Amino acid sequence: MLIMIIVLALIVVGGAYGIGRGSGGGGPSGPPFVVWTHPSIGPSGHHVAVAWVSDPFGSPLSDTNVIFSDEAVPPAVQLGTVATNADGFARLDVGNRTLVFVQARTGNAEVGTSVSIRDPVDNFTVEMHQDDLDNDGRFNDVGLHVLTRAGQPPVARIYLNQTYVTAADARGYGRVTLPPGSSNLTVEVAGENWTRQAFAFESQRGGPAFASGPDFVLLIMAFLFATFVIPLFAIVVTFDSVSKERVQGTIDLLLSRPASRIGVLLGKFLGTFVAVALPVTLVNLAGVGVLTAVSGKAPTGSFVLAFLGLSLLLIAFYIPIQLTFSTLAKTSGTAILFGLLVWLAFNILYPVITLVLSSLLFPNNFQAQFRFAQYAGLGNPSSIYQQLVTFAAPESLRFSFGSGTILSLSLVAAAGVVWFVGTLALALWIFNRKAAD
Amino acid sequence: MIEVEGLVKVYGRRGGKRALDGVSFSVPKGDIFGFLGPNGAGKTTTIRILATVLTPTAGTVRIAGHDIRADSMEVKERIGVMPDEVSFYPTLTGLAHLQYYASFYGIRRANAKRRAEELLAQVGIGDVAEKKVKTYSHGMKKRLALAQSLLHDPDCIIMDEPASGLDPQGMRYFRDLIRFLNGKGKTIFLSSHLLSEVEQLCQHVGIIDRGRIVAADSIENLSSRVSVGAPIVLRVTADGVTDDAIAAVSKVPGVAKAERTPAGVDVTVEAGSDVSGEVSKVLVLAGAKLKELKSSERSLEDVFFALTKGGRV
Repeated sequence: MLIMIIVLALIVVGGAYGIGRGSGGGGPSGPPFVVWTHPSIGPSGHHVAVAWVSDPFGSPLSDTNVIFSDEAVPPAVQLGTVATNADGFARLDVGNRTLVFVQARTGNAEVGTSVSIRDPVDNFTVEMHQDDLDNDGRFNDVGLHVLTRAGQPPVARIYLNQTYVTAADARGYGRVTLPPGSSNLTVEVAGENWTRQAFAFESQRGGPAFASGPDFVLLIMAFLFATFVIPLFAIVVTFDSVSKERVQGTIDLLLSRPASRIGVLLGKFLGTFVAVALPVTLVNLAGVGVLTAVSGKAPTGSFVLAFLGLSLLLIAFYIPIQLTFSTLAKTSGTAILFGLLVWLAFNILYPVITLVLSSLLFPNNFQAQFRFAQYAGLGNPSSIYQQLVTFAAPESLRFSFGSGTILSLSLVAAAGVVWFVGTLALALWIFNRKAAD
Repeated sequence: MIEVEGLVKVYGRRGGKRALDGVSFSVPKGDIFGFLGPNGAGKTTTIRILATVLTPTAGTVRIAGHDIRADSMEVKERIGVMPDEVSFYPTLTGLAHLQYYASFYGIRRANAKRRAEELLAQVGIGDVAEKKVKTYSHGMKKRLALAQSLLHDPDCIIMDEPASGLDPQGMRYFRDLIRFLNGKGKTIFLSSHLLSEVEQLCQHVGIIDRGRIVAADSIENLSSRVSVGAPIVLRVTADGVTDDAIAAVSKVPGVAKAERTPAGVDVTVEAGSDVSGEVSKVLVLAGAKLKELKSSERSLEDVFFALTKGGRV
């Protein structure tokens, strides 16, 4: 267990340090164009999805096909394809739909995003895109796109840390360069203000200025490290908690005590959970601490709390599964083999099979493949964890690093509850029947 | 104290091994009940069911008036179990084991420590209470197993091979302790391979063979039952037994066979015959000097072998 904690610490804390210090290359990153989406209300009161397609520097791209689809309830319905006009705008009346998937394609490049249209729509909406536009190796350039509730560019003034910088152009686009550290960006339209925090790394640290700084690194930590390492740790600690009792012959003494089998197994669950949760939480906190020290800025508090809490949930997902296999295993060797198979199944095989199936079922339809992967993910505790992390992430990161979700929070949360309760009930049932065999 | 009725245990699904097939017996309160049977007869399965570890496929078991299925918690509170395999957590100390097990009985932490120390001293391993169990000898583990079964002062103690693997001193210690516990009113259910031990300790025995109870009664009654219809051997100790005297004895009605022994003669008597008087008379008339004449008694071992068809103990 000590070895596992050290490995966990090396991976999570080292990962936080490594990514935090990693340097980004110069120039704009990602695809050669940006799709800025806004909700708006048409003259008839219908919802209108608006997409503005530009290059990363804010020059509009005309004649770009934009596909609008309804993603709210499966199966997805393609609502229409609209080519951008000379100013780069594509608009589509989507009736009373509330969530529309927007996909634009130019040459080999494809960008997909979504727009949520929920009443009441704000008087104006702002989209941000942070990049290295002046090719100085620092991701400190922020493009802003502003549209009114009617979907038209307004007269908008842009402030950086309460200081006026520029006005949005005729298409609603404006650009600012962030100083190192945290800054407040404010857009003012007709006396009404919209303010968001943005962050750029200190130049001498040479670190990458991700879209939201340490929050993005934390998201990577959650997706890359926690998703794989925490279940492995939980499995390693749990694998022989029942089988060992049988192998060393202590199970009879345990079961003859005045405690119900449900009580015995719940006791094992809680004991194992605490044994895994304590070091994981300490290591996660250390990772966040290192990240804060390296980047010079703490991640968003609520995101950190959610990350810590969801890590515990991930532990709680895997322990009952392994308790079930530990009860079924006749030897400790079989138990650890079962554990490794469980880890491989949910962290390697399931995503690969999902990917292959989605490609076979929906060839050349990225949108349908994405949707399929999202729903299939509800059958995988690691995917549920990742989707919940996405919901907990700051809004600006929702669709970064492949972490987007088209599912509702309630659906994903319900899947999480079903997973936990279902696997725990299965573990109890199996233990009740097989513990003494 | 223990009432078992029509107990059936089938391992696995349909067609699985039928380990117990309608086992019934009862153990009176305050008794020491010996439970015997060849290997694979169903002894351990029965004990694991009594200990509430296994669930029977059919039949009922009541301990102290409580059904093991419906009132399993009540049963668990009233029994102490000493399994055959003395298995403990190797890295825990003897004291820690008892404190851990005491936590199941709602014994307060301070009381549990005191009770554990008392019991460890009582069973003779108080000096190694703080040592890890992996350093214990087999005998020490047996004593620890006994101590844990007594933690909550149960009414009924179920012991599976308590003296197996022990040296003569250890066996004697366990025998004395079982008598002591029985003297305090505890009912003892004792499974053992050591027939002499059972014979010395138990008032009643149950013999199980191939999943069925073949006998359950007092040792005396079982001996008589087995003796009925079986030939008896008269062991005669005498001087001056001549070949003519042996030939004369052989001709006594009811005598099946007469054989010379270093001490005198062994006379095998046909079932139901009483020939001791006639044999004495014939020997004296033939000039032999008679010292003693007694009929051989049937031991528990004879009873066991007779009832289990010579099964290996």
